[in-house]
Amino acid sequence: MTFFRFDIGARSRTAGRLMGRVRRELLRAVTEEKQAGLTQQELARRLQSGRSNVNRQLSGEAEITLRSLADLAWALDREITFELRRPDQTTGQNIAPQTSTIGHKPIRIIAPKSSDE
Amino acid sequence: MFFLKAMIVQPMPTITDLVDNGAIVKIDVELAPHDQPLRLLYGTPQFIAWLQEILDGARPARLLGHTSPAEQIDDLFHSFLSGEHLVFTRQFRVVRAEDNAVWELKTPDIRIFGWFMAKDCFVAVFGNWTDTIKDHDLYRGYRIAIRRLRRELDLDATLCVRGVAPDDVLSV
Repeated sequence: MTFFRFDIGARSRTAGRLMGRVRRELLRAVTEEKQAGLTQQELARRLQSGRSNVNRQLSGEAEITLRSLADLAWALDREITFELRRPDQTTGQNIAPQTSTIGHKPIRIIAPKSSDE
Repeated sequence: MFFLKAMIVQPMPTITDLVDNGAIVKIDVELAPHDQPLRLLYGTPQFIAWLQEILDGARPARLLGHTSPAEQIDDLFHSFLSGEHLVFTRQFRVVRAEDNAVWELKTPDIRIFGWFMAKDCFVAVFGNWTDTIKDHDLYRGYRIAIRRLRRELDLDATLCVRGVAPDDVLSV
């Protein structure tokens, strides 16, 4: 075996990546605000919530409801953008089922056959 | 004769050599239409067997995350391979520096240990449940085992990034 595709199916993939993306966006905003002086204690105070509860939401150990997402965005002074759209079909994009990161070997150049072969 | 044999310099193995002799296996996830594969991920055969157990439905005794272990790993691998910014902070480290250039990728329920052969090129060696690693304090054992594996594969001097800062191992 030279490669292994970790494939969990489209439905699970959509769910897991959406939730992961939401958390990463929140973490990025928290990190930015932390650099500007906001402590996690202060964030929890704004939300009138426990610090451990906020921690668990950010770490993925607690569910983030739409309400708590909106509350966190408000407390972090961020706007939320949300959109559902059909997948784009544009030239040059990946064709998802065929996309692969496999390519560890150098490109082989195969000479064209000559006409007398 | 002995002297001549000693003089022959063995070439250092390349990543291609390691894949060809089965020491490591390329790991892939499906990318979205606009994603580009900006990083590389490999695993040892032992790690691949563990991934297969996760795909077959293995779960920890106590699930910490709000998504399944397989979903957590898919999201982690997708973030890594598509070159997303990995969060490196005190409390929520996706990648954590360990002694002996061993790194840890994290999800709520999963810990993955390995090393960077080059910038943006990670080899996963061990995967386990977060609770199990903490309860049995497996960090030191994994670090030693990974260092030993690198020595056995003769990679310590070549295919191993020793830096411990995020910028040393990730370019994005």
